[in-house]
Amino acid sequence: MSDLDRQIEQLRRCEPLKESEVKALCLKAMEILVEESNVQRVDAPVTICGDIHGQFYDMKELFKVGGECPQTNYLFLGDFVDRGYYSVETFLLLLALKVRYPDRITLIRGNHESRQITQVYGFYDECLRKYGSVNVWRYCTDIFDYLSLSALIENRIFNVHGGLSPNINTLDEIRTIDRKQEVPHEGAMCDLLWSDPEAIDGWGLSPRGAGYLFGGSIVTQFNHTNKIELICRAHQLVMEGYKWMFNNQIVTVWSAPNYCYRCGNVAAILELDEHLTKRFRVFEAAPQEARGFPSKKPAPDYFL
Amino acid sequence: MDLTIIKLYDQEDEQKIMSVVDEPLYPIAILIDELKNDDIQLRLNSIRRLSTIARALGEERTRKELIPFLSENNDDDDEVLLAMAEELGGFILYVGGIDYAHVLLPPLETLCTVEETVVREKAVESLCKIGTQMRQNALVEWFIPLIKRLGAGEWFTARVSACGLFHIAYPSAPDHLRAELRAVYKQLCHDDMPMVRRSAASNLGKFAATVEPAYLKTEIMSFFIHLTKDVQDSVRILAVEGCAALGRLLEPQDCVANIVNVIIEFAQDKSWRVRYMVANQLYDLCEAVGPEPTREELVAAYVRLLRDNEAEVRTAAAGKVTNFCKIVSLPLAVHSILPCVKELASDSSQHVRSALASVIMGMAPILGKEATIEQLLPIFLALLKDEFPDVRLNIISKLDQVNQVIGIDLLSQSLLPAIVELAEDKHWRVRLAIIEYIPLLASQLGVAFFDEKLGALCMQWLGDQVFSIREAAANNLKRLAEEFGPEWARQHIVNQVLEKINNGHYLYRMTILNAISLLAPVMGADVTKEIMLPVVINAAKDRVPNIKFNVAKVLQSLIPVVDSDVVDKIIRPCLGELSEDPDVDVRYFAAQALQSCDQNMST
Repeated sequence: MSDLDRQIEQLRRCEPLKESEVKALCLKAMEILVEESNVQRVDAPVTICGDIHGQFYDMKELFKVGGECPQTNYLFLGDFVDRGYYSVETFLLLLALKVRYPDRITLIRGNHESRQITQVYGFYDECLRKYGSVNVWRYCTDIFDYLSLSALIENRIFNVHGGLSPNINTLDEIRTIDRKQEVPHEGAMCDLLWSDPEAIDGWGLSPRGAGYLFGGSIVTQFNHTNKIELICRAHQLVMEGYKWMFNNQIVTVWSAPNYCYRCGNVAAILELDEHLTKRFRVFEAAPQEARGFPSKKPAPDYFL
Repeated sequence: MDLTIIKLYDQEDEQKIMSVVDEPLYPIAILIDELKNDDIQLRLNSIRRLSTIARALGEERTRKELIPFLSENNDDDDEVLLAMAEELGGFILYVGGIDYAHVLLPPLETLCTVEETVVREKAVESLCKIGTQMRQNALVEWFIPLIKRLGAGEWFTARVSACGLFHIAYPSAPDHLRAELRAVYKQLCHDDMPMVRRSAASNLGKFAATVEPAYLKTEIMSFFIHLTKDVQDSVRILAVEGCAALGRLLEPQDCVANIVNVIIEFAQDKSWRVRYMVANQLYDLCEAVGPEPTREELVAAYVRLLRDNEAEVRTAAAGKVTNFCKIVSLPLAVHSILPCVKELASDSSQHVRSALASVIMGMAPILGKEATIEQLLPIFLALLKDEFPDVRLNIISKLDQVNQVIGIDLLSQSLLPAIVELAEDKHWRVRLAIIEYIPLLASQLGVAFFDEKLGALCMQWLGDQVFSIREAAANNLKRLAEEFGPEWARQHIVNQVLEKINNGHYLYRMTILNAISLLAPVMGADVTKEIMLPVVINAAKDRVPNIKFNVAKVLQSLIPVVDSDVVDKIIRPCLGELSEDPDVDVRYFAAQALQSCDQNMST
């Protein structure tokens, strides 16, 4: 068994890797991610997942319902970290799978894959607590800059974490963005990760303070211009796990059940078979007995 | 203190350290300094490595410098103190062996008095560990005075800790000290602080086990009776918990005289938490006092608990129904307990019904055929229709116990709808649970019933929307094939499974490949080669890479099943093609499988 396979096994048990292993893993991931396009091509069949937010045991539930990677192909729409108790293990498992099976899993960036946001919503503190230093946070946030911004399935389904941008009309315009940077406060890259669809005419100001609200006509126009049939995005909690809008031109997929361990929502993943037939799989939070106790902090490397 | 420091070392493995210890040229690499560092993390690390430091210092300096240092530094963070309390428990080795064990008592004594409970508990645990190894005279000289000091401690924390130490020292104490120790314990049972009395109650059983029978009957029992009348229900709960342990120490007649009455009183305690504890403990206690008095005295108390106002109490009592019936006479069980069981089957709390359902099937062998049919069967049938899946599952999971007594026919009519409903429950974990019982059901119901009623369900699960269910369904087919034999499986399973390989969704085709891999060893070489292998080989041309690399995995699993010429003529060429696939994962798993082919050849 290779080191990487062993690390995947370990992470599946929710045991974090050593700092030195994280560093090596991130270096390998960087080599793979740097080759990916801002609009990464993805083949069907594939299962699309929304926000996870460090809810490790609920992500395990997701894999029990959808199948383990690499058996099942996956596309994750970002927001792997923050809020939940296990951002480190969650992100590292996904990243390790990406390195081991680059063709079987695609990860794109969410608005929480950012240095600024993670310092406020938990990932930074979790790294500090679990490793006694912020090195792991640094390695991970450096990798965030390399994550692709969107994915395109069989040229027909466009996937992005947040939504559209008034600065973007065509997919080619996304392809020209220099994404290897911290998520900016404004502009096309920021909007893709922050915007939300809303029942309005045209564009509106977002109450989030970043990105925009966009209405049905914007979606119709975008889909027509780019010859796509559907936009699939995450970013917003929906109690039923998924939500269609604007005559099935855009769908929200949310994959963190009982969000923040208190919202009471169910989660969903969108299973696309090789003919692009869509089936939503709805699931609930993992039952208490399937959740481990928080693992003990590993002894830092520098002492005995 | 004048401990030498000591440079940082890369200390991945301790063996390296050990080899360095004897080398005077190299200063030993320990971080004594970090015991005093401002950063709690560093102090904690250092404490966790205390044994390494001690080894490096040697036994004498550990006794004279390290241990006194630790004794003085006890106002640290709780986490550090906890680690220290734990480490010291295994420290005899490092201070020079048993003869010097007493030097470890002072730092632990201080830790026994701190505010944080977990630290104190760990310190007591470590003291017990050390005390059991100390010599008799050392216990008298050092350990007993320590107990007395803690027992008379000004702070309640010391007195709480004291209670957990008596059983270690008492057997070694001379008579006059024994009397003194008993007197101290009595005081602790009468302490003003409930926390101390709680500790006295929870440690009483351990202490009592070491006390001579004469004093047990008199003094210890009086402590016990006193605690059972405590005003705090949390103290009484702990007293109940100790009842059974104490009961076992007494002669049966003394037990009846002393403990049974207490229990009966407890069963009517005004605090439901106490009654809950009684419901949990009652069976153990009945065992301790034996069947005679059980019948006389305790059945009435038990029946009261079965009808308690609080669902928690009824749940605890309901879970003991079968055990209880085992130790009382049959007429008593039928007349006193069975009517309650009927009531519980329609209890308003699902937890009560679930607890009952988990044990009630065990009553059938006790009551015998006639009474089971007459009395229990209606209850089984009612529980099989319960609105909560757990209740139904609990009944189904214990079906074999009833089958032995009355056969399955009487139940089967109600069984089938219950199984079908569970099989289609909207929660996948319920579906999973019933699948796992299918092999048990199959063995109980027999092949005819199974073919007629359950076969279709088993196939249906292969197409479930949840991956884990499909996986369990495949595994279930393997277990059925084992239960009913390959000939049956060939007629009833194999073809139906193979047909599904044409599903338009790759994940469902994957399930079929998985099922083939599981069935092959049961079906044997011929069926595998003739019927199943062609399907796998054909799947190697699938357009989805995931199917192709699973084909490689399945072929790998078939190597030990089929003859070696089949491996060479069919499996290997197919893997050869896959190993040149454009997809990297397909190539990887094909290469893995080819390696297995080679290994198979060479063995």
